[in-house]
Amino acid sequence: MTTPLHWRSATEIAKAYAARTLSPVELLTALLERIDQLQPKLNAFIHLDAGAAMAAARVAEAELSQGRVRGPLHGIPVGIKDIIDVAGLPTTGHSKILVGNIAKQDATCVAKLREAGAIILGKLSTHEFAIGGPSFDLPFPPARNPWNPRHHPGGSSSGSGAGVCSGMFPLALGTDTGGSIRNPASVCGIVGLKPTYGLVSRRGVFPLAFTLDHVGPMTRTVADNALLLNALAGHDPLDPGSAATNARNFGAQLGRGVKGLRIGFVRHFHEVDLPAHPDVTAALEDAERILQAEGAIVETVTLPTLSEFAGVNRVILCSEGWSIHAPWLRERPQDYGALARRRLLPGAFMTAGDYVGAQRRRAELIAAVNDKLRDYDVLMCASSMDPASEIEDAAETARTYARQARAPFNTTGHPALAMMSGLSRNGLPVSVQFVGRYFEDATVLRVAEAYEQVAGWHKKHPPI
Amino acid sequence: MDPLVAALAKATGLDKCLAAFPEDIEAAASQALGHTDAFKVPTSPAAEPWPPMRAEDAL
Repeated sequence: MTTPLHWRSATEIAKAYAARTLSPVELLTALLERIDQLQPKLNAFIHLDAGAAMAAARVAEAELSQGRVRGPLHGIPVGIKDIIDVAGLPTTGHSKILVGNIAKQDATCVAKLREAGAIILGKLSTHEFAIGGPSFDLPFPPARNPWNPRHHPGGSSSGSGAGVCSGMFPLALGTDTGGSIRNPASVCGIVGLKPTYGLVSRRGVFPLAFTLDHVGPMTRTVADNALLLNALAGHDPLDPGSAATNARNFGAQLGRGVKGLRIGFVRHFHEVDLPAHPDVTAALEDAERILQAEGAIVETVTLPTLSEFAGVNRVILCSEGWSIHAPWLRERPQDYGALARRRLLPGAFMTAGDYVGAQRRRAELIAAVNDKLRDYDVLMCASSMDPASEIEDAAETARTYARQARAPFNTTGHPALAMMSGLSRNGLPVSVQFVGRYFEDATVLRVAEAYEQVAGWHKKHPPI
Repeated sequence: MDPLVAALAKATGLDKCLAAFPEDIEAAASQALGHTDAFKVPTSPAAEPWPPMRAEDAL
């Protein structure tokens, strides 16, 4: 049976373009119909740029028909989180504060996508300024989870998660400061990679916390994740955090399996620090068994506690976030949603000593993770400790959002990928996380793909 | 509200926010203390915070 167009991966689409069995206009037409059908239920988009996308699809179609292939993303639609600038489109950060703000130029990551021939579909829902959500007091409604729209889709890259998961588009950009790519990837059941800090440029992305912010790919398969990262990675002299490293083929190790790889399993995160929901724990144990059966050596390792990582992350995030938002919080506090205002204000009460102290402890946390990664090729651990709660249950959402093991790797900057590892008893995705050495994002993708190919969760789609 | 918290809010220019959302100011001050209590700051003067984040230097 032929895979419906909206469930095709970017890798499959590129092959179909090459075989001339599919055209960019045909694909985009199908996806726009899908968006038209699902947007009222899922609110993935803040601004759909259908006209410009169709114009780009026609150009791509003409180029491809003449054999002028710009690369594997040529003619493939991508959604962009609405804190990332796309020239001529609004960047609102899902906030009343920035309504009417039109971006003058593309963020570097968007410019790179255009160079690769990708089609920019529009701007996607986020938590307000990538921190305040899910919220109902903002100018746009919150995105919802395609597996069950009564539940949240994670955040802050919520529209990216909901849109990729529901087949509105195969690829999306997200950002991640305390877990905001990996949270929606975890609860929507897709693949989200927070690359090594500095690997993908942040220029043109509205900052939340300068030294914690990452831009990264969100996809339905690991191979697509590598494909998108290939287009995004590279040094940008206009981003002061950009690493002076050569971009490489992040898919080069796919298909090599995990035989002989050493994997450190950070069990205390979900067994002791924040005891996980039994369905999450069972899926993590299954993932361990699969990796062992594929030939990996999996051993238990210990890192500092999640509360230490989270404390350092929060002090740095609140301090840096306050320095960005202070002028608006002073003059326009009523224009923030309640959650963003409450999450940003603590920075006003932190001292310079608090911030420097957190940065000093951060260096020790980095050393602790690096120490383990000398003995192990990759670490594995939980991502979310719970399946997604109901979006209108604010108390349960607040409780479960904080129960996560993603912020450690924003604090340390290591590449970290979250992906589906099963379904809970109530039919919602649960997840596993893989973490690698600096700039060894390709090894993280290798392990994730080996797991994906055996576990097969990427073939499961939400019943929407 | 603790008068010290109100004074700090005014000192940081949050007068409008204090008037409109006093409960948010109070919660923020309390959270700030909670976050800083969650970890131990190194005691060795040799434990430097610079650079604040640069992946290539770490391994």
